[in-house]
Amino acid sequence: MQRRILFAIALTLGIACATAALAQDELPAPSPIEKELASRASHVTEVTLNRSMLEFAAKFMDKKDGDNDKESQAARQMIQNLKGVYVREYTFDKDKAYSEDELEGLRKYFQTTDWSAMVRERTKGSAQGTDVFVKLINGQMQGLFVLDAEPRELSLVLILGPINPDSISQLGGNFGIPKDAVKKAQKEVRK
Amino acid sequence: MDHDDLKDEWKDAREQADLERRLRHAMQRKPAPVGLKQRVLATARERRQHRHGRIWIFQRLAATAVLAAAFGGFAAYRQHEEHEKEVQRGEEATRQVLTALRITNKTLDRVSTRLAENSR
Repeated sequence: MQRRILFAIALTLGIACATAALAQDELPAPSPIEKELASRASHVTEVTLNRSMLEFAAKFMDKKDGDNDKESQAARQMIQNLKGVYVREYTFDKDKAYSEDELEGLRKYFQTTDWSAMVRERTKGSAQGTDVFVKLINGQMQGLFVLDAEPRELSLVLILGPINPDSISQLGGNFGIPKDAVKKAQKEVRK
Repeated sequence: MDHDDLKDEWKDAREQADLERRLRHAMQRKPAPVGLKQRVLATARERRQHRHGRIWIFQRLAATAVLAAAFGGFAAYRQHEEHEKEVQRGEEATRQVLTALRITNKTLDRVSTRLAENSR
């Protein structure tokens, strides 16, 4: 009887661990805040790409680009190992279209032990600011979250999977991840 | 009635009786000879085969060719349609990837610029 109970507990723990491990690599469900922001925005761009979609796009780019275009090659190399890409861009007609609470609600998902804040910039007396969170596993960047709040624009970028800052910088000339900040975050994690 | 008349009448009656007898005999149900049905069917089949012979083969070949072409055409059409759908899905996925990368690039550039401005 005791053995059965132990087996059931072990099985439950195993399933829970596997679910948690899988959930870490999954894209988050859209927050209700995003719906509210989208209803207020004059222009919304929403892109959600899961692993299979990224693999498919990478394969398609591989087939399509016969010419060894450097940019598309770099893009293909970058996306083929990613686990998910989640991008939202809201453009508003007027200033102060979003509140500090809404931004905090969006940041909440990344305020866990897996994610470390790389950049945190705030403007006093305003909801504007920039947040960059990275997910570092064994010193490797496995996720990137950027929340950039401009007076009339709010951008949210979440990339899950192995990210090489060097390959990112090849895209579009200057993809712009501050390398020093990545190194700094890596050192902090090692400590 | 004289003797000749009686003779003629008797002759007529005998002829009529003879005719009736022959008719009865002719109309009497007789069993078919053994194997007649098979022989008749075989002859009919032989005639039919002989008549239709080549035409029948050509008709069959033509029907098979038409069916094969129809099935082949349908399969090719379906394959083309599937390929077109996959290309559309691929183009859509690529478009989305490029949009995501463009926004990411723009956002990170902005962050980078702002950080550079602040560090001055």
